[in-house]
Amino acid sequence: MNETLTLAQLRELFLENPDLEATRWLALSISAVLIGVVLWLVRKRSLREEYTPIWIIVSAALVFVSLRLDLLRELTRAIGAWTPSSTVFFLGELFLVAICLNYAVRLSRAGLQVKNLAQEIAILRARVDALAARRGDSL
Amino acid sequence: MPSHGSEPGSARRGVLVIPAYNEAPRLPALLAAIAAQELPLEVAVVDDGSRDGTADVAARAGATVLRHPFNLGYGAGLQTGYKYALAAGAPWVVQMDADGQHDPRDVKRLLAPVRLGECDLVIGSRFLEPTGYDMDPLRQLGRRFFIALARAFGFRVTDPTSGFQALGRRVLELYASDAFPSDYPDVDVLLTAHRHGLVVREISVRMHAGERPSTLHGGLRSVWYLYKMMLSLWAASSRVPKP
Repeated sequence: MNETLTLAQLRELFLENPDLEATRWLALSISAVLIGVVLWLVRKRSLREEYTPIWIIVSAALVFVSLRLDLLRELTRAIGAWTPSSTVFFLGELFLVAICLNYAVRLSRAGLQVKNLAQEIAILRARVDALAARRGDSL
Repeated sequence: MPSHGSEPGSARRGVLVIPAYNEAPRLPALLAAIAAQELPLEVAVVDDGSRDGTADVAARAGATVLRHPFNLGYGAGLQTGYKYALAAGAPWVVQMDADGQHDPRDVKRLLAPVRLGECDLVIGSRFLEPTGYDMDPLRQLGRRFFIALARAFGFRVTDPTSGFQALGRRVLELYASDAFPSDYPDVDVLLTAHRHGLVVREISVRMHAGERPSTLHGGLRSVWYLYKMMLSLWAASSRVPKP
């Protein structure tokens, strides 16, 4: 007998798909590595402490979702997605857009500060040159 | 060595700001022409990270040299001059390009209304009267577009991209703020000045064809300029002017 599935039934099948232990352990491992890399970068002074909370929060969220895949499934159902993995991708993309915007703002501010500093240097150097010329030596 | 006015850093008489990027070949003639005018201004050349010895050429000609440690852009170069003038207590500034486009003989005329307190900002316009200045059709179109945009925001100007200007101290204080752009300070900053209640006037000046490529000369740079200027105009018109 040829059994046909409606789209709604097909979606439910995706959503009811049993949790894969391998997926859970992969997510947990990635979270652990991410936390490790963040701490290592802080220790190396390559990453300042004030930039770490966002990555620690992301790692913690990943750990939480790995342990509670049922919540991820509920969220998937709520937002109308078909599979938990597409929900993770969607949230990941949102996070990346937000963090890019945040860094663009920080870069703009840093660029402005660099410009102001360079201008200050130019003005101070002119004054030093003028003082040196008045004294007849080089400072 | 020609003399260029008061001693550096003590400009009580005003500053002539010349932003320059790799202008060593053109600067000597321009500085000589300025010296011949015996202007009551300290000449400050802002070297915007040039690699051709622009700073040395300017210093040899007797100008005050403000050296950026690296290239910051045309607008940032102008702003360094404004900040320098403010710190030196200069009551006004005249700005002109280093490429020989602007005629030093017009400086006194440009500055006069600001010195007399008749206005805060004077723009040297190529188009207020027929001066025979030739502009290619694409740049003409761009100019007309920005004139129309400025008019839509309630501000009338005939030469929105002219870099030949005289500025009073109130304008300097406004332009020394972080709102001043590092790249192209054109009709957007004029609109900002207008919205802050500063009196802007145009006078007709002679201009020669400059060697610096125009921002409205076609190509991707023009597209970027158009986009950036429209965004800046909108931002300038939407900000509430600070008293």
